[in-house]
Amino acid sequence: MDTAILTQPGYELRARIEALYYDYAAVLDDKEFARWPDLFTEDCFYRVTSRENIELGLPLGIILAESRGMLRDRVVALLETSMYVPRRVRHFITNIRIFDPEATGIRVRANFSVHQTLPDQETGMYLSGEYQDRLVEQGGRLLFAEKLCIHDATVVPISLVYPL
Amino acid sequence: MQALATDDRHWPNEGISRVPGWVYSAPDVFAREQERIFKGRSWCYVCLEAEIPNAGDFRRSYIGGKVVLAVRRKDGGVSVVLNRCAHRGAEFCSAKRGNKQEFVCPYHEWTYDLEGNLIGVPFRRGYQKQGGMPADFKPEENGLVKLEVASRHGVVFASFDHDIESFEDYLGEKMLGYFDRVFDGRKLTILGYERQRIPANWKLMMENIKDPYHASLLHVFLVSFGLFRMDQKSQVQMDPTGRHCVLVNRKGEQSANVATSEMRNFKADFKLNDPRLLDPVREFPGDATVVMQTLWPNLIIQQQSNTLAVRQVVPIDEGHHDLAWTFFGYENDDAAMRQRRLRQANLMGPAGFVSIDDSEAMMISQTGIAASPEKPLLVEMGGREVDDAEHTITEVAIRGFYQHYREVMGY
Repeated sequence: MDTAILTQPGYELRARIEALYYDYAAVLDDKEFARWPDLFTEDCFYRVTSRENIELGLPLGIILAESRGMLRDRVVALLETSMYVPRRVRHFITNIRIFDPEATGIRVRANFSVHQTLPDQETGMYLSGEYQDRLVEQGGRLLFAEKLCIHDATVVPISLVYPL
Repeated sequence: MQALATDDRHWPNEGISRVPGWVYSAPDVFAREQERIFKGRSWCYVCLEAEIPNAGDFRRSYIGGKVVLAVRRKDGGVSVVLNRCAHRGAEFCSAKRGNKQEFVCPYHEWTYDLEGNLIGVPFRRGYQKQGGMPADFKPEENGLVKLEVASRHGVVFASFDHDIESFEDYLGEKMLGYFDRVFDGRKLTILGYERQRIPANWKLMMENIKDPYHASLLHVFLVSFGLFRMDQKSQVQMDPTGRHCVLVNRKGEQSANVATSEMRNFKADFKLNDPRLLDPVREFPGDATVVMQTLWPNLIIQQQSNTLAVRQVVPIDEGHHDLAWTFFGYENDDAAMRQRRLRQANLMGPAGFVSIDDSEAMMISQTGIAASPEKPLLVEMGGREVDDAEHTITEVAIRGFYQHYREVMGY
C-alpha cells in the first residue's frame, strides 16, 4: 500500500471521497453522533490507536469496533451512559491520497488534526495523525469499510470522548 | 530530610476521615512526595518482563518524576538504572525501547554496560599527556544510579532504597494472593499501550480505584450490565498498613431492584447492538468477576471480566498525572480469548465505556479541590476506621491509603 502508485481518479471520484471525509468531520464536529455509524458498512472495522502500537505491531485499540452495531453501541454510551465535561472538537482532514481501486475497495490515506475546546478554556491542539481507510460503494454511496485512526502522540490529553 | 515548608501544614483534627485539600494542590507537598514516597522505601512498578525478553532489551519507565531504564542483562536478570549520565546528568537514552549491548551518552560518550557500570570515558588519560581525568578517578564509583529490583511472575518493580523489605513482605500474604491470582506464573503477552494525561493530582487516581462507592453511581455502563454493583457480593480488603487494597465484585443480572432505585442513571433496558462486546468467560479460580488491586504507590492491576491491564500512575506535577496502561493476555490464550480481551478493552482506557467517567471525574475534582485548598475532603462512608469491608458503600480503602501516607509524609 505504501508504494502504490497514485491514480488520477478524476474529479468526480475525488470529489465524492472528499465529500465523505468532510461529512465525517461535520458529523463529529456538529455532534450528530447518531449519524456517525451510517457512514460505515454493516461489517465495518474501526480502530483508534497510537502510532506506537502500530509500529510495535500490537493489536490494541483505544476504540475497537468490528461492526456498525458496535459503533451504535458506542454512540449510545456516549449519549446515555458516559459522564464527561461538554466540549467541542473540530476536525481538519487534509492530504487526502487516493490509491488504485482494488476488488476490495478504494484505499485512502489522509491526515487529520483535531482541536478541542473545553468550557472557559482556550482552544488547544488535541491529536493529529493519519487515517488509513478502505472505502466501498454500497447503494450508490461511498462508505467506510475500514477506518484506522492512528494518532501520533503516545499521550492522549484527558479522555477521548468523541470518536476520532 | 530537609525542611520543606511543612510548618504550616496541619492535618485536620478528625484524622484520616478527612483529607486536606492542599495535599492535591501544593507544590511543596508534591516535592516532598517525590523524595519520601517515590525515592523512598517503596516498590514502584516499572514494566512487565515480557516487554524486554532478550539480553540487551530495554524499556524506559518512570518512578515518580524520574526516568529509569529497565534492562535485560546477559545473565537473564533485569537491572533498573536511572536514565541520567553520571558525568553531567544528561538523560542519555531517548529511545522508548530497543536493544543495546551498552549505553553511550551522546554528549561526551561516557559508556555504561547493561548493569550500569561505567566502562568507558573518552580521553580519560588525556591526549599527549595533557588533560584527562585526575589519576585517582574511580570508574567503579561513578556508574549509573542502580535501583533495587524485584520481579515476581513477570512483573518488575524497583526501589531507590536498597534496604527495603522483600516484595513479598511488602505486599503481605493477602495482597500477594490477589497479585498471584492474575500473575500466576504464566508467560504474559503484550496487547498494546494507552496513555492519557489527566489534569489532576496523581493521588486522585489511586483513590478512585480504592473507592467502590462511586462505581455504582458514576459508571452507568458497568451498573447497567451488572459488571460492578453495590448489591452484588463484594469485598474491600487491605494489607495491614492500609497502603495496598483490592476491590472485589461479582457479576450479577441486568435487572432493576431496590438497590438500583437509588442509582439515578440505572438503565434496565440497555441492550447492546453487538453483544460480542460483552461476552465474558470465567478464567480465574473463585467466583469474583472483577478484582481491581492498587499497590502503593503507583500501580493499579485491572481484571474486569477478561480485560487485563496494569495501569502505571506517573505524577507530572501537583495538578497533573499520566495514566499509562499496558494491556496484556497470556501466551497460551487462544485466538478467541485474545479477541475477547481486545473487545473488552473498549471498557477501559482514555475512551473506555467505564474509564472515561473516571478521567473526567478526576479533572472536575482537581479544579474544585485546588480552588479551596483550605477545605478538607470527607472520607466517612463506611465509618472512620480502617477495617476490611464486605460491601461497597465505603471509603475505607482511601482511609487506609491516607493512614500510610501520613506516616510516610510525616503529616
